[in-house]
Amino acid sequence: MLHKVRLHLSFSLVSLCVGATAVLAVAYIGLIAVVMSYATLTVEFSQSVRNNEAAVAVLESEYLASVARITHTDYVAAGYALPATKIFVPVKSVTALR
Amino acid sequence: MRSQFRARIRLILVCVVLVALFMFARLYSLQVMQGDDYAQKADRQFASGGSGLFDRGSVYFTRKDGTLISAATLATGFLVAINPQTLLDPEAAYVAITAISSSTVSHDAFAAAAAKKTRVYIEVAHRISEERGRALAAQKIPGVQVLRERWRYYPGGPLAAQTVGIVSYGSGDMLVGQTGLEAMYDGTLSRSGDALYKNFFAELFSNVGNLFVDARDAREGDIVTTIEPEVQTRLSDDMMKVNLRYGSKESGGIIMIPSTGAIIALTNYPWYDGNDLQDINPNILGNPLIEHIYEFGSIMKPLTMAAALDAGVITPQTTYTDTGCIVVNNFKICNWDLKARGAIPMNQIIVQSLNIGAAWVATQLGQEKFREYFTALFGQKTGIDLPNETGALLGNLSKPQQVGYDTAAFGQGIAMTPLQMVRALGALANGGAMVQPHLVSAIRLNSGIERKLDWSAETPVFSAEAARATVEMMSKLVDTVLEGGKAKIPTMSVAGKTGTAQLTDGRGGYSTDRFFHSFVGFFPAYDPRFIILLYTNDPEGVKYASETLNSTFLDLVHFLINYYAVPPDRGLSTDSGASPRTTTPQ
Repeated sequence: MLHKVRLHLSFSLVSLCVGATAVLAVAYIGLIAVVMSYATLTVEFSQSVRNNEAAVAVLESEYLASVARITHTDYVAAGYALPATKIFVPVKSVTALR
Repeated sequence: MRSQFRARIRLILVCVVLVALFMFARLYSLQVMQGDDYAQKADRQFASGGSGLFDRGSVYFTRKDGTLISAATLATGFLVAINPQTLLDPEAAYVAITAISSSTVSHDAFAAAAAKKTRVYIEVAHRISEERGRALAAQKIPGVQVLRERWRYYPGGPLAAQTVGIVSYGSGDMLVGQTGLEAMYDGTLSRSGDALYKNFFAELFSNVGNLFVDARDAREGDIVTTIEPEVQTRLSDDMMKVNLRYGSKESGGIIMIPSTGAIIALTNYPWYDGNDLQDINPNILGNPLIEHIYEFGSIMKPLTMAAALDAGVITPQTTYTDTGCIVVNNFKICNWDLKARGAIPMNQIIVQSLNIGAAWVATQLGQEKFREYFTALFGQKTGIDLPNETGALLGNLSKPQQVGYDTAAFGQGIAMTPLQMVRALGALANGGAMVQPHLVSAIRLNSGIERKLDWSAETPVFSAEAARATVEMMSKLVDTVLEGGKAKIPTMSVAGKTGTAQLTDGRGGYSTDRFFHSFVGFFPAYDPRFIILLYTNDPEGVKYASETLNSTFLDLVHFLINYYAVPPDRGLSTDSGASPRTTTPQ
């Protein structure tokens, strides 16, 4: 029976297993290569993101410093006069309020 | 022919298998057996993003338009280390390093480090900017390493520093949040160091699941606060000016949205800069707004009034006879000006800030009811998302002496944190219900999901009618008494109350010349957008809070109206064809 089966196959079962193993191993190594490349890119992107965040933080620091400087400014001491009168905006309508 | 072909195929297969086995073994050796060594070597490379670098989530302020501004983030730069074994010219190296860094070690310390020939790595300078670090690296000085470094950076410097908190080394060698939000949300902000060094090969053997789903992504993230940076700057600046002007021990304030409990600004001067903790006084690292308790004085009267109205023991039309002074349990209690008013209605207790009236209301309420209301208001911590919150001191309300209740009615003899106080007074602005004060509105997880935090729980204390009647009294005070009536805004109803409390003298009594000033107010009075609580502790040369905090409060009200474009809630209607109201500025 086995002899008959063997006749119908063009290669041996051992060769088939070895071939399959080799293909899987190569595929596995290829997968590792992809993952390692991905990891490398992730590290580079992460570093890039952190660098950008640090650059943004500098801008945010400048913004907050500007807000603090403007808030702290004494406009009277800077030569501006207090307003002579204040005009308050009237109510538009009752329904617009609540 | 066929057998030859088959032999060749087998030979190629054997070669492929051998190569695969070799690579398999080599990868196992590199990643599993020697993985740690290589990771450490990678960290010491010039531009590596290694696991040794400090990493931590960000804390954000939220502008009124929803824009996020970093309150705490990471700065990236370089550190400089030397390898004494390969350092050829220590003097030249020191000159080169000091040229780009002012924070390097002293010359003697550097020379001592360079002399340690058994060592291969000694750090000599930190927090060097990108440009300077690269410039030093370009010199390629033997024995000098320029390495990546990250550190915690607070773009606002001292802005909300006591709230944001700091990170420092705790019991281990890890930087962890020590105070403020940094400590409260440390579990969210801290990062597992190996996030970028996920070792596929090792993970395959140990934990396949981590390759696809990382549990840290559901835990680690950034936090978004409710603090508005420009309002915070304004409040901080104003309270600093008050403190410096009057030489107070400390001055602080809170601005909260009374309907939600979202705190948009809170400050206490003196403060510190989280970027420079070198010579900091550790006593100011905490947050007095939630950790210190104070006797607030007369801003307690509206709460006493609302409690009595809610209990039904008085109505706004009820009158009492004010005698100027009374004696209770052998203690003499007087009005601030010692004067008697005769028979007057309830609203005058708030408008004229009458201690005798508040004591009379407390007596009408009865000890049990008074204790019940004030325990509801101050008996529990607020549950704010900051560490080390302190509870109120209500011991006098556990004693049978009526004097304890009478004085508590006008804010003496019981003490609470400013945050507890603003929450309690916020109930008046919120239809009688206390809200949950909070600072963080959402957590932005690394997975990309933004998780909104639920702070919607409310604690009803007063009826809406009692709260509104009290607000009317506070609004009348602002319109008629504050700044002699000049504080009135024709198009905006504002409710307010000043408070002046005597400070304890440390001998069981009260000082006669040292005071704690406070001010609370909210607007629009009947549908408030903001509630403001201000205080200054032990100001010099002034007795009443109306002298120290009135103008600051009113300036803040006008600032907030303009900044948030709060629409008017009263005044002339355009339908009637009236012209805008004009007033002379104070």
